[in-house]
Amino acid sequence: MNAPHGDYVQVGKPLPRREDRRLLTGSARFLDDIAVPGALHAAFLRSPHAHARILSIDVASAAAMPGVVAVVTGRDLAKLTTPLVMAPPIENLVPTEMTTLPIDKVRFQGDLVACIVAKDRYLVEDALEAIEVDYEVLRPVTNFAEATAPNAPLVDDTLQSNLLAHQTFQQGDPAARKRGAHAVVEARFSQHRMTHVPIETRGCAAVWDEGREHLTFHIGNQVPHPLRTNLARRMGLAESQITVICPDVGGGFGQKIALYREELTVAALARQLKRPVRWREDRMENLQAASHAREADCVTRASVDNEGRILGLELEITEDFGAYCFYPGNYIARVIALILSGPYRISDYAYDLKVALSNKCGVGPMRAPMAMTSWVMDGTIDAIARQLGLDPVAVRRINMLKPDEFPYTMPTGEVLEDITPAPVFEAVIDAIGYDDFRRRQAEARAHGRYLGLGLCSVVESTTYGSRFYKFAGIAGSGHEAAWVRIEPSGAINASVGLMGTGQGYETPLAQAVAEGLGVDASRVRILLGNTDVAPYGMGSRGARGATAGGGALFLCGRKAQAHVLRIAAHILNLNSAEELRLRDGSVERCLDGEWTAAGLGIEDVARLAYLDPMALPSGMDPGLDFSLTYDPPPMTYSNSAHACEIEFDPGSGAVTITRYVVAEDCGTALNPMIVHGQQQGAIAMGLSGALLEQVFYDANGQNLSSTLADYTVATACEIPNLEIISMNTPNKRTPVGQKGMAEGGVMGAIGAIANAVNDALTPFGVVADRQPLTAPYLHGLVNGRR
Amino acid sequence: MKPAAFEYHRPESVDQVVALLAQFDGEAQIIAGGQSLTPMLSFRMSRPAHLIDVNALTSLDCIRVIDGVLEIGALTRHHRIATDPLVHAHCPLLAEAAGTIGHYAIRQRGTIGGSLAHADPSAQLPLITTLLNAEIVLAGRNGQRAVPARGFFLGSLDTAIEPGEIIVCVRIRIPAVDAGWSFELFSQRRGDFAIVAVAVLLLLGETGKVERLSIAIAGIGPTPLSMDNVSQASLGRMPDAAWQSELVTTLGDSLEPDDNPKFPALYRKDLARNLLTRALASALSRAERSRA
Amino acid sequence: MSDPVLIRLAVNGDTHTAAVPARKLLSDVLREDLGLTGTHVGCEHGVCGACTILLDGRPARSCLMFAVQAEGHQITTIESVAVNGSLSPLQQALHEQHGLQCGFCTPGIVMTFEAYLRENGSPTEAEVRDVLSGNLCRCTGYQNIVAAILSAAEAMRGDEP
Repeated sequence: MNAPHGDYVQVGKPLPRREDRRLLTGSARFLDDIAVPGALHAAFLRSPHAHARILSIDVASAAAMPGVVAVVTGRDLAKLTTPLVMAPPIENLVPTEMTTLPIDKVRFQGDLVACIVAKDRYLVEDALEAIEVDYEVLRPVTNFAEATAPNAPLVDDTLQSNLLAHQTFQQGDPAARKRGAHAVVEARFSQHRMTHVPIETRGCAAVWDEGREHLTFHIGNQVPHPLRTNLARRMGLAESQITVICPDVGGGFGQKIALYREELTVAALARQLKRPVRWREDRMENLQAASHAREADCVTRASVDNEGRILGLELEITEDFGAYCFYPGNYIARVIALILSGPYRISDYAYDLKVALSNKCGVGPMRAPMAMTSWVMDGTIDAIARQLGLDPVAVRRINMLKPDEFPYTMPTGEVLEDITPAPVFEAVIDAIGYDDFRRRQAEARAHGRYLGLGLCSVVESTTYGSRFYKFAGIAGSGHEAAWVRIEPSGAINASVGLMGTGQGYETPLAQAVAEGLGVDASRVRILLGNTDVAPYGMGSRGARGATAGGGALFLCGRKAQAHVLRIAAHILNLNSAEELRLRDGSVERCLDGEWTAAGLGIEDVARLAYLDPMALPSGMDPGLDFSLTYDPPPMTYSNSAHACEIEFDPGSGAVTITRYVVAEDCGTALNPMIVHGQQQGAIAMGLSGALLEQVFYDANGQNLSSTLADYTVATACEIPNLEIISMNTPNKRTPVGQKGMAEGGVMGAIGAIANAVNDALTPFGVVADRQPLTAPYLHGLVNGRR
Repeated sequence: MKPAAFEYHRPESVDQVVALLAQFDGEAQIIAGGQSLTPMLSFRMSRPAHLIDVNALTSLDCIRVIDGVLEIGALTRHHRIATDPLVHAHCPLLAEAAGTIGHYAIRQRGTIGGSLAHADPSAQLPLITTLLNAEIVLAGRNGQRAVPARGFFLGSLDTAIEPGEIIVCVRIRIPAVDAGWSFELFSQRRGDFAIVAVAVLLLLGETGKVERLSIAIAGIGPTPLSMDNVSQASLGRMPDAAWQSELVTTLGDSLEPDDNPKFPALYRKDLARNLLTRALASALSRAERSRA
Repeated sequence: MSDPVLIRLAVNGDTHTAAVPARKLLSDVLREDLGLTGTHVGCEHGVCGACTILLDGRPARSCLMFAVQAEGHQITTIESVAVNGSLSPLQQALHEQHGLQCGFCTPGIVMTFEAYLRENGSPTEAEVRDVLSGNLCRCTGYQNIVAAILSAAEAMRGDEP
């Protein structure tokens, strides 16, 4: 079913984006730009405490405030909705359940207490101040250690302990490798809590049509169909009673996947009140209570020989999952553990992962949920080099998989193929001028200046096929669905179950359809995000867009082309369509090895198919309407190598990035301009997170990072220009050789910057093993403080 | 994040402002550029019953030089101060510092009067006015009074402005034309409030010895600190390397930053030493250049 | 105390009247009362820059002003930047150089630099980055925005290539 790789006409062009015009001129439609006549505004009362019992809620004064239409609490919502049950069939994962709004207890600062619906947002905020809540404040647990200490207060009173998951794995005999090793190198990595900060916060607008008993739910979300499924289930509606419509979305990064409690509340209230209700999350709510990400600690123990060759590897990972499970609690840590070995040859491997609840905002996936993987692995390599006095490049080379070793089965059973770690690594070493850097570094040190170079190789798991889900024991599927419709005029509409949040899907996906169908991409319009229009798909998460979505659309385009050519052959009185193809909308015929125009266009075929069906080949149905589903390989991988050069100022502790080179092999790029943009954006997000961002809770569980002045996302002055080396080794199992990408940049940046900082810190004899790598932290380290 | 309700007033003269302040006695808040106040209103950390908008007092948007004094009206925007030829000519230190406040769009709106009245402990203009001991002129029911900057900042977000008063202008005695100066700021990101900031004004005498030295530092305590009590010991000394390092040590030792979880006291103290070293070197090099 | 006041706003050359409470932010009035939804609200505390508009030709955060304060001033929003459907050089450069992704921050960036490039027609990269630091973008990593602004400046100067 695969096309030959190579000569693509539409795929691979750096076409500028379709979406830009509306976005540049202020005529795009984001959620809050949609006028919903008569809509009421919802807002939520949130807990000021990290952990407290709700003794009573008095809403009487609030209900009497001007403009207030309804005030509801958890008890009210429990009558309108069912709880979220998170109980996938996963071994050693504790099932959890949460009501739509808390009823008896709040579990983190910013947790929901009540909802008010009023005429406008100003009045609703006035009314929130009038709700009186009596709390019994409880002791919070604010990190993994506290959460798992004996007699720790329970975050979820229905559970036996705060330990949500504990899973172990072993392949080979890592304990034996330790005994036989030249050295066992232990390294620690502490990844701090972050949050996504889409510039557009969450929000939704629910319109209930009482006559039709139908809900139209406008929401910026990455997975419209799964969202609809959840919404229907929890409201007791059929999926045919809900239309989810996603408008333009101002960034998601994983924050806009789950059906959140606020959104369900708004939908339920619209139905209950029989009036449209809308909600726009404010920035403080977004930073405190939307979703957090990433807080995990890793310890690795690598058994090595005297050249730094890894004989065995052990990983311990602990994760603080926050107060609520919108996702299976083990899943993020599990992916880190599954793909840890990345581009390196490791046969004996064991992991131990533990995930605990705490009195902080719940955690979810954020662009590269497994972001710390490459930092942990390449940081372990650097630790080996440090401890054995070896060159970090040499240790990488000796352990890195060579081109002839693929396909390679990782110790966890994952199969890597069509990836190029060694060539990509060498390209970066060459581009950064590694040897020359070491000379400059020595020279600078002699003048009291501290340069550092960090390397990080990434193997990014991009597209998860349904076979991976089955293998990993996760409920769900990785397939995707598409339709392509050639209209009577020859215009082309197409749709897929993805939903973009800024990636620029409308252009590369049009290229995928165009390539499959044989027309110019400009003729193809991509429709996304309306569940009545798009086929049921799994949406946008991970890096599945190009492979799952682009693949489905390309194949559907090919299916359409084959059909068009069957009609063309019939019109041309040919026995078969074998010698025909469609190029730029024109039918071409191969005569004596030369393709020549057959004098027939897609418009002619379309006209016939719709308006003169009797002229079609006998038995052929009228119309040109095609659909299919596509299940990608169990897993596809992209790979990259990052090199980051920094200067460290011991006086202030500041890190300045002076150069950044990345080589990435993400297979065939549907649109290289979009791919570059994704590389830049992912690396920037990684650097910003590693250097500046931190969700900061004090010992009482108070969030001290709930404004954008306190949760510090990098500005244009902190992110460098990137030098990108593009490599495009096709994946042999995907439709045009695409692999997916857009998360690996985060993974590589986090590792490269940390390794660069530690390289610069070498003369001080200290190692930075936690992030963020802020000036005060690094300054403290070089001055003997932790 | 929407402000609580208030009644809005847009007076057109200082007298009208003063009358409104008197009328609403303690229930009113003045808004100028609004770059700090509006977020506080939106967070409902500030909830005045009356908001007095002084943006119509255009006569307070002015920069002039009178008798060796640079006078800047309270409504003058940071961007104007940063780019004004008079400020560049007579107090380049102020222009440089004003050009680092927040971001470009913020500087178009934010005013000098607003910044001083807000009195953020790590803000630029409180620091520079403290260094230069500028006079802050207040108008109230009993006419005008001038408060020296070093007596103006009483604490974090707390000033000597009495209820019923409004800042009308700032008067800065123009430093000697050949004075060296420097402004050093360290923040996490571009445009953030300083973790620590230092300003220095240094005048060398004919023999090259220190004739005047003023140092001020922000980010250490609840108000900007004038370090003149320490720096006076430098008068008459040759500004050599030994002087610099002794001075930095003495200054650094005298600092007792309060602790905070993100930027610990020890860090801010070391950072202050580091910035003082750079600031002294930079002021000295400017002073030496203007002597040459 | 929250009774609406009648205000008159000059926006993009047109005069609008609206009855709004004094506490209503300019960003909200532009979007809700005037239907000019191109101005986006990203943080409501003056940090992200998405809501930047021009007030008398100068960039201003519309979330840090009350609409009533804008009376008597000329307001310019993103809707007026493209004239008769043709993109400004800055908008065109952002399109060509992939200087936007989700586009939510874009109107604020366009407004900031429509003003800045009039003040400084030949900025350096460092100057562009300094001014751009007032607008947070979570998607692009800024590199293409900076490149687009620099090439727009060049195009506006009419430099020979």
